[in-house]
Order: sequence, then structure tokens, then C-alpha cells
Amino acid sequence: MTVPAPTSAQRAANGLVWGFVALVLVFLYAPMVPPVLRSFAGASVENGGLFASYRAIFDDPLLIGGIWNTVMIGAIVAVVTPVLALAIAQALREWQKPRLILGLVLLPLFVPGVSMGVAMAVFFKVLGVEPSLLTMSVVQILWALPFATLVIMTVMASFDETYLEAAYVLGSNRFAAFWKVELPCIRQGLFGAAAFSLILSFNETIRTSIVQGGRNTVQTYLWSQYQQVGLSPALYALMTLLIVATLALMAGIVVVTRRRQLP
Amino acid sequence: MKSIRFDALLRVLVLGLPLLLVAILILGPLGIMVAVSFWKKTGFAMVPDVTWHAYATFLSGVRIEVFWRSLWVAVSSTVLMLLIAYPLAYIVAKKVRPTLVGVTLFLFSVPFLVNFIIRTFSWSDILGRSGFVNSALMGLGLTDAPLDWLLYSDFAVYLGLVTAYMPFMIFPIWLSLSGTDKRYEQASWVLGEGRLMTFWRVTLPLSLPGVFAAAIFGFVGAFGEFAVSVILGGTGYQLLGNSIISSLNVINYPLASAMSTFAVLVMLILLVAWFFFFDLRLFLGKIMGRQ
Repeated sequence: MTVPAPTSAQRAANGLVWGFVALVLVFLYAPMVPPVLRSFAGASVENGGLFASYRAIFDDPLLIGGIWNTVMIGAIVAVVTPVLALAIAQALREWQKPRLILGLVLLPLFVPGVSMGVAMAVFFKVLGVEPSLLTMSVVQILWALPFATLVIMTVMASFDETYLEAAYVLGSNRFAAFWKVELPCIRQGLFGAAAFSLILSFNETIRTSIVQGGRNTVQTYLWSQYQQVGLSPALYALMTLLIVATLALMAGIVVVTRRRQLP
Repeated sequence: MKSIRFDALLRVLVLGLPLLLVAILILGPLGIMVAVSFWKKTGFAMVPDVTWHAYATFLSGVRIEVFWRSLWVAVSSTVLMLLIAYPLAYIVAKKVRPTLVGVTLFLFSVPFLVNFIIRTFSWSDILGRSGFVNSALMGLGLTDAPLDWLLYSDFAVYLGLVTAYMPFMIFPIWLSLSGTDKRYEQASWVLGEGRLMTFWRVTLPLSLPGVFAAAIFGFVGAFGEFAVSVILGGTGYQLLGNSIISSLNVINYPLASAMSTFAVLVMLILLVAWFFFFDLRLFLGKIMGRQ
């Protein structure tokens, strides 16, 4: 079958379509540029070289503490969320109650961030739980869970369950079948969910800031500094680092999923 | 026999406990928040009570104005976001080559994952009086003086909201567009309907579950917004999120809870309507695989 050459009207319509896509992408990506420019603005040899504002990050002990908290919470969220999401996705397949279970897990996605923060804050307050890295982690895990669950469900959907039945027929029990047959097949989904959770943790502000008490993460520190004294070159440097870290993690996800597709 | 029963019990525990934990951690806070919204504030503390006091404070005075403005901004920006997200989802579902669909969706999701407060800071940089847009316009000789309506205006707020929430709305719409059976459209063509009428009467109605899910997401985000209004709306531009945060700043938990309960209630009504009108299985078939 030969495809007829496109008429000029079709070509114009196609140009319009891709022009629209390109325009939207420009609008979406443009906000990543200014922090980078700002972090290098005014850099000169007298002012301490190109990376002066990056070095200034380390002059602020509050910020160092914030970075430490961010890394700790990120690690907790990235480990706990995929495991919870895997259990939920397995329960979903096992019990066939998608409306109930998914409705529950996806709920935090639809609650405004401020409201979820308020709910968690009064919850911990009424129960007498002091704000800590753990309470901050819980809030972020609930935020990352819907995304992680969807990632794992997508990967599980491409896993053929007859392999499990084959394992049962061959005398394997449920756990061994899962561990030795299914898990290796969906491992990439778990890594993807972990990377996703880490990204969401690094970029979460408002829920965390409401339950944080005296501590700060990098993000909540940025937000409170903006409201109190405005943004400094060091904070722009920090934003640049956060953007770079997020892009690097996304690139990591691409590399891992690519490897899955290639035999 | 015993080991089989033990195995089944273990399985219920392994799969059920995480689910129970998540249920407690999601529904518990929301339930307690609703309860606290009826409590009474005494100084810096609160005492259990059943009073409409917090709701009365919310529904009188300036806070109700903030509520109406939030509602209007949320509805209008959601319509705007749908008008952008739907064509994008349609293009990804129908025009992009299947091998490139993943890459295209990825390109749209990357900015969504970068903290939206940082992205909102950037817009105030780009749109400011000495920002990129004004410099470019004046450099090209298109304007003599910086445009004032670019920043601290409705325009800036809508731009911030659209770039913050629109990217995520592409996904549910794309899910339901790519999940529908192509043969419905082909049947419509065979029966003599034109492309436009086929879209209007077949494609669009079949994609409504995704559109509605996307609309809820965008609406809820804009409704409870706090950062875009402060950074891009300028002093005094308040949305519901700001109102809630300001009541938290004076440690009035019952009032913060009452306003949050209101926001969650609006969201729940929309979600229940969504469950009521559409079949979740149909929508999620693509993710859940064979049923």
C-alpha cells in the first residue's frame, strides 16, 4: 500500500499540531532555566569564582541540617514506599476489589496538599506524636504511594500470571513462586517506583512544612526563606542542584527501563 | 491441611497489614480533621466539643471571599487546563508513532516532577519588570516600557496554575483515549459520519472518564493552591490554601480543619460523582491488564 503524498493543507495542519506541542514544552521547560542563570549571576574572580554561590550553601548550618534531613527522609521514602506499593498491588490482584483499594490509595492524590498537611498535623497532635523525621516521612510516603502503586501495577500487568501457575504445578509454594518467578520479572518496576518516590520526596514542600515542627528539609527551608527574607544566590544554587538531581534520577529511570526492553 | 490454612492466614496478613496501615494513615487523619473542625479553640490549645464556631468564622468575613475566589479560579483554570491537556493527550494517543509515545509522555512528565514552587519562583523571574519577557519585548522595540500586567496579576496566576497542574492531566485523558476501541470510530466513519462529528459523538464521550479524572485533579490542585497565589499573585492575592495556612500561623487548628474539611468535601463529591458515572475497570483496564 502506498501512502499518498500529503497535501499542503495536511502539511500545514501537521505543522500546527507539532508547533502546539513544541510551544507547550517550551512553557513547561522554561522555568528550569532561571535558577541556573541566577546561581551563576555576578560570579567573578573577586567574588570567589564561578561556584561562589554553591560554596555559600555550606556557610549556612541550618541549610546543612536541611540537606541532611532531606537525604534521610528521601532514603526512608524510597525504601518503604515501593514495598508498600508492591503489597497493595499484590492485594489488588489477589482480592479483585479495584474500586475500594485503588480508591483508597489514590485518595491523597486528590486531597489538596495544604489540607492533607493539616489532616496529618492534627492527627499527630491528637495522638500526641511529636514532629520528627518519621512523621515527615509518613506524610511523604502517603504522597508518593499512589504514583509508586501505579508504576508497579503497570509493570505487573505485563507479567504473565501463567508463569506463577506453572511454578505452583511444579510444587512451589506461594512465597517461593513470587520470590523466584515474579519478583525478578517486576524488579525494574520496583526500582522505578523507588526512583519516583525519591523524586517526589525531594520535591515535596507544603505537606512536609505543616508537620515538620522545628526541623527543615531543603524544600521547606527554601519556602520559609522566600516568605521571610527572600531568595539568596545560595538558595538559587540549591534550586539548581535540586533540578539537576531530579533530572539525573529521571535519566536513571530511562536507563533502567531501556535495559529491560533490550534483551 | 493445617499448613494450607496457615499459608492462607499468612497471605492475608502479608497482603492485608500494609493495606490496613495505609487505610489507617489516610482515613485516620481525614477523620480526625473532620472531628477537630467541630472542636473549640481556647488560647493556644483546643478542646473537644461539638460547635459550628470554626465553620461560622470561615463562612463570615474575608475568608468566604477567599473561598469564592478560589472556587472561581479553580473552575476557570480547570477549563483552561482541559483545553490544553485534551489536544495534547489526543495528539499523543492518535498522532504520535507508537514507539515514541513513551518518550513523549516522559517529556511531559519531567517538568511536573521538578518542584512546582521552584518553577513558580522562576515564572516571577521571567515575567518581572526586568525579566526575560520584558527585556525581549523592549529589545525588539515592541514596547517602550515594561508591561505591568505580566506579573502580580490574574495572567501570572493562571500561567502558574496551568504549568503546575496541566502536565499531569494529560495522563488520565491519554489513558482513556488510547484505551477505547478504534473500531467504534471506524464504524462511525463507515456509517457516513465525518471526522468532526465522529469525534464529537464517539471519541469525546468515550474519553470522558479520563477527562473527568483530569478535571478533578486540576480543580483540587488549583482550589487548595497556596504558592502560585503568593509568588505570582502578589500581596493580598489569597486562595483557600493561603487562608488555611494563615489560620495555622495563629495556631487555630479547628479553623484550619474546618476549611480543609470543606475542601476535602468538595473533592469527595466530585470523586463520588466520578465513581458513580464511570466504570473504573474500563478506565484502568490498561494499567491492570487482563481481568
